[in-house]
Amino acid sequence: MPEALLDPLGLGFFVRALLGVTLVSVLCALVGVWVVLRGLSYIGDAMSHAVLPGIVGAFLLHINLLFGAVVAAVFTALGIGYVSSRSGLKQDSAIGIVFVGMFALGVTLLSRAPTYTSDLANFLVGNPLGVTQADLWGALAVTGVVAFTLWAVQKELLLVSFDPTEARVVGLPVRRLNNLLLILVGMVVVLTVQLVGTTLSVSLLITSAASARLFAPNLRRMVIVAAILGSVCGVVGLYLSYFLNTAAGPTIVLVNTAAFLIALVLKGKRE
Amino acid sequence: MIETDHLSVSYGAQVALQDASARFVPGQFSAVIGPNGAGKSTLLKTILGLVTASSGRVNVSADLGDLRKSSAYVPQQQTLDWAFPVTVWDVAMMGRTARLGWLRWPGRADRDIVLDSLEQTEVEGLKDRPVQALSGGQRQRVLLARMLARRAEVLLLDEPLTGVDAATQEKIMRLLQEQARAGRTVVMVTHDLEAAARWCDQLLLINRTVVAQGTPEQVYTPANIECTFSSSHLGHTHAHA
Repeated sequence: MPEALLDPLGLGFFVRALLGVTLVSVLCALVGVWVVLRGLSYIGDAMSHAVLPGIVGAFLLHINLLFGAVVAAVFTALGIGYVSSRSGLKQDSAIGIVFVGMFALGVTLLSRAPTYTSDLANFLVGNPLGVTQADLWGALAVTGVVAFTLWAVQKELLLVSFDPTEARVVGLPVRRLNNLLLILVGMVVVLTVQLVGTTLSVSLLITSAASARLFAPNLRRMVIVAAILGSVCGVVGLYLSYFLNTAAGPTIVLVNTAAFLIALVLKGKRE
Repeated sequence: MIETDHLSVSYGAQVALQDASARFVPGQFSAVIGPNGAGKSTLLKTILGLVTASSGRVNVSADLGDLRKSSAYVPQQQTLDWAFPVTVWDVAMMGRTARLGWLRWPGRADRDIVLDSLEQTEVEGLKDRPVQALSGGQRQRVLLARMLARRAEVLLLDEPLTGVDAATQEKIMRLLQEQARAGRTVVMVTHDLEAAARWCDQLLLINRTVVAQGTPEQVYTPANIECTFSSSHLGHTHAHA
C-alpha cells in the first residue's frame, strides 16, 4: 500500500497538484474562518462567478489569467460595497446585481473568444492536475500577501466582527475593513476557482473552516484546525481521484463535505 | 461635562427623541431611565456620534477632548454574537485595540491593564474560557472589564443590569459608583428604576423627551414616574440640580 501511495509521486503534475491543494487549503483556512464567522459564504460564491470577466478578458488580451481574475475580484468586492451603501438595498441584493452582471460580462466576452482552449476551460471548470509551476508561485505569493494582511489587521478585524458598534465608537474605519475582507475573499476565490472551478470553489473556502468552527474555542485554533483539515482532505481527495479515476476537483470537494458531516456527527455525540 | 442641547433624533418618520436637553458631569454616576422605546439607547448613541441628530447638538467640554478617544461604550449584551470563538481574555483585550492603534501589538503594560480589569470585575479566573460558555452575569462582567481596559474618562453603558442576578447587580453598581468617585463621567441606561434610585447620583427620566433630571430625591416622585412610564407624556418638568 505505501508503494501504491508513492507511485503517483513520480508524476510531476500530481506533485504540483498536491502542493497546490495544500497551499490553497492553508489560504482558505486563513480567510474562510472570517467568511464563516461573518456569514459571508454567499459573497464567496458570488465572487467565484464574478471573476469570470477578468479571466476571459486577460485571456483575450494575452496577459496572466490570475492577474485578470484578481482585478475582477477587487472590482467586484468594491462594487458590492459601493452598490449596497449607495442604493440602500440590502447587501444580498447588491451582491446579486453585481455578481450576475459580472458573470454575464464574462460570458459575453467569452462568446468573442476565437478558440475555446483547454487553458481557459481548466480555469472555468477547474483542474488541480493542470496546475503549473507558475501557478504554484502565484498561489504562494497570494498566500503571503493574504497572510500578512490578515496578521496586520487582525485585532481591528476581530473588533469589527465581534462588536461592530464598539468598532465605530472607537473610530475604526469599519466599511474599509469590510471591503478589505471582501478583497481578500476575492483573491482566495481566484485560486480555488483554478483548482475546482467556479461552481465548487466556495466549498474549499468555507467547508474546512466550518468544520473547525464546530470544535475550536478560539480564532487561532480555528485557523490551525481548518488549515490541517483542509490540507488532509485535499491530499486524500487527490489520491482517491487518482485511484478511482474520478475528476480531481469534485472528489476533493466531496472529501471535504464528508469530513464536515463526520465532524457534525461527532459534535452531536459529544453534546 | 457632556451636554445635550435640545436634541431631536428621528429614524425615518419615527421620532426617537425630541427636544432632549440633559447634562452629565464628571464625578457623577447618572442613570437614564425610561420605558422601552423611550429613546434611552438613542441618547447614548447620539452622544457617541453613532446616530446623527436631526436638530440640536451635543456639547462636550474641552477637558474630555475627542469623545471617541475618551469614552468607553458598553453595548446591550444581546446585540453581540456570543457564539464568536473568542475567550474572556480576548474580549477584554479588545478594550486596548483602539488605544494601541494600527500595527501595534499589546505589550506588557496592556496585559497588566487587562488582567487588572478582569480582577476588578472578578472574572480573571475565567480568562481562558470561550465567551460562549459564560452565563449572562459573567458576560456582562467581561464587557465591563473591556470597558475598564479602555481606561476611558467617560463610561457609557446600555442596560448593564439585564440578565444579571442580584449579587452581580450589586457588584456592578458598586464598581460603577467607584468609577464615578474617581472623577469619571458614568452614564448608565436602564429600566431598573429602583437600582438607579439606590445607587446613582443623578437620574434622567425620559420618554421620547426629558421628563426630569436631578438627584433621586428631586425627581423620584409619583408624578414624574407616572409621566415617564405612561404611554403619553404630558408633563415637561425640568429639575436640574
